[in-house]
Amino acid sequence: MSLKSERRGIHVDQSELLCKKGCGYYGNPAWQGFCSKCWREEYHKARQKQIQEDWELAERLQREEEEAFASSHSTQGAQSLTFSKFEEKKTNEKTRKVTTVKKFFSASSRTGAKKVAQEKNLKQGQLGRERNADNILRDLKEIFTPSWELASPTEEIQEAKAPSPSINRQASIETDRVSKEFIEFLKTYHKPGQDIYKQCKMFLEAMHHKRELSIEEQSECAQDFYQNVAEKLQTRWKVSPERVEKAMDQIEKYIMTRLYKYVFCPETTDDEKKDLVVQRRIRALHWVTPQMLCVPVNEEIPEVSDMVVKAITDIIEMDSKRVPRDKLACITKCSKHIFNAIKITKNEPASADDFLPTLIYIVLKGNPPRLQSNIQYITRFCNPSRLMTGEDGYYFTNLCCAVAFIEKLDAQSLNLSQEDFDRYMSGQTSPKKQESENWSPDVCLGVKQMYKNLDLLSQLNERQERIVSEAKKLERDLIDWTDGITKEVQDIVEKYPLEIKPKNQALAAIDSENVENDKLPPPLQPQVYAG
Amino acid sequence: MAQRKMGKEMTVTSDGYHSKPTYVYKVVLLGSMAVGKSSLAFRYAKNSFRETMPTVGCSFFKQMIHLETANIMFEIWDTAGQEKYHSICHLYYRGARAALLVYDISRKETFNRAKLWLRELEKDFLHDEIVIILVGNKTDLATEREVTSEEGKEFARSKGLLHAETSAKSNHQVTDVFMTMPVQSQSWKKSRVDLRAPNSNQIKKCCKS
Repeated sequence: MSLKSERRGIHVDQSELLCKKGCGYYGNPAWQGFCSKCWREEYHKARQKQIQEDWELAERLQREEEEAFASSHSTQGAQSLTFSKFEEKKTNEKTRKVTTVKKFFSASSRTGAKKVAQEKNLKQGQLGRERNADNILRDLKEIFTPSWELASPTEEIQEAKAPSPSINRQASIETDRVSKEFIEFLKTYHKPGQDIYKQCKMFLEAMHHKRELSIEEQSECAQDFYQNVAEKLQTRWKVSPERVEKAMDQIEKYIMTRLYKYVFCPETTDDEKKDLVVQRRIRALHWVTPQMLCVPVNEEIPEVSDMVVKAITDIIEMDSKRVPRDKLACITKCSKHIFNAIKITKNEPASADDFLPTLIYIVLKGNPPRLQSNIQYITRFCNPSRLMTGEDGYYFTNLCCAVAFIEKLDAQSLNLSQEDFDRYMSGQTSPKKQESENWSPDVCLGVKQMYKNLDLLSQLNERQERIVSEAKKLERDLIDWTDGITKEVQDIVEKYPLEIKPKNQALAAIDSENVENDKLPPPLQPQVYAG
Repeated sequence: MAQRKMGKEMTVTSDGYHSKPTYVYKVVLLGSMAVGKSSLAFRYAKNSFRETMPTVGCSFFKQMIHLETANIMFEIWDTAGQEKYHSICHLYYRGARAALLVYDISRKETFNRAKLWLRELEKDFLHDEIVIILVGNKTDLATEREVTSEEGKEFARSKGLLHAETSAKSNHQVTDVFMTMPVQSQSWKKSRVDLRAPNSNQIKKCCKS
């Protein structure tokens, strides 16, 4: 019952439901009785009008104010005038924005003001519209350009080479952070700290002017700088070796975060070209398997494959670091993961005989970006004592060896015949295809297992079918066999029909003879004796 | 052995006035696969310090030795022995003060290969730049010996190398081999003075630029 009455309550005439514009579609009270399409058109029109109206108002206000300003402060210079203009514009923009936002939310109150706005609009003319467009454009720019773009560059000269403002921003944030840390750090060194800071500033200044020099010369400058600062700390300030080490690390961090974008993969060198060559080379060698390199790592073990993934992540991460030492730390981290992987696989600590092939495999698998550039950068700008000695240096040397090996790699070093090697290199065949694992090696273990099981199932299925067909064949054979036997028997029976021969004459003769010459005594008869 | 001049890549640090300077002494281990390079380093490091072994790998070791005149920080760099890495191994030599040329006394071919390593080393170093010790490892396998002690000694003498036979397994003469290198370095004290000269020149050079 109640349902019925409700229905009656909201009942409206069919015509009321149609779009106000009479397009034939149904309207909606939420769209003020228009259909969706008409509403959108109307709304758009109204909005445009509103924007223009606002702009017009702003223009008028500005004009008025300008006039007033010009008359009262005619003595003031042009500078203040432009400034006030700027201020005014700003406030205008603000109010306009606010009203626009308001309009978005108060759509229903628009229809009344429409006509007035239209008239105004006509007066405004072409100029207003253009300005309006300009304004919107600027507005948009303001919205989409990050605030730091508008702010004047506080620190360093903006560089054209930098790919995007966000990266630039990030870099400058990092630079700021590093500077702050550096200054904090130097405070613990008191007087030598000040001296270090001064020297670093001077060095950076000097490097700024040396930007035109070749990268080798710049590298030499940096190396000289490291050596001189270390010497000075030791001899003049009598700083203990450990603290010299620490200071050197910080100095390197400070100056290299600043120099990075000028000296990493500079255009004056062919580093980039070499990067591409190495990258292409590694890509061409995608088919190399751990077995060919004699890598003592079994990726079937989940822990090991985990380590391999971690190692690859580390070596790729190297490119994202700016300080040579941080890059070295990435290589060391990667190496530790490799050692772990080998240790889990072999159950004994890895030796260099195991390590280098595995590192080569990791590099091949990871194809780290800008490998050559990174190596060159580290070689040129890292503290040299760190590269020739120390754990970081050891792993870095191994990485250099790995890259050198990959560049020279040939059939012999993979224990392949030249023909096989050439075929794999040209992509004609892949050694993986020959194995059951023709899916990519980085597919997770579960999926691999699934594929294996599917494979097994299909094999089973095949066998089942074979068995069924064999069984059928056997059945047929059996039937054929019985048929054959029957036929054979019949043939034989036909060939040698069963004849029941008449009684043998001779036998009968004997019998008859016996009958004839019956001279034998009569058979004994049982007799009963009394007694 | 002739006295060696210290290159500038040698890190010299000094602990104030009274304590001894510390030198970093880089040693590379060369030799074929499975001759026991890693085991030698492992044995040496383990016996010197009863500290826990590096949990992960044994291809890089650091060992501090305290001598009368100096502290020596040993750095042992193990290299891959496979033949295919032979051509790239020169990268490891940079800054090395000594090389252990290891062969297996029970395998003749490792001795021959050691001779090839030596030729590589001679390309990169002048004779007095580096201490080379020819080490015949695995003396515990004396019954299967293919390279006689005399053979090794004779070759070492002809090339001006040091020679020793060791066994990493039974810990025979391992520490002695490693100690041979710094013991000869009593002359370091003198060379330290030499070090100052070129460095002070460089300071001047820098100030000019």
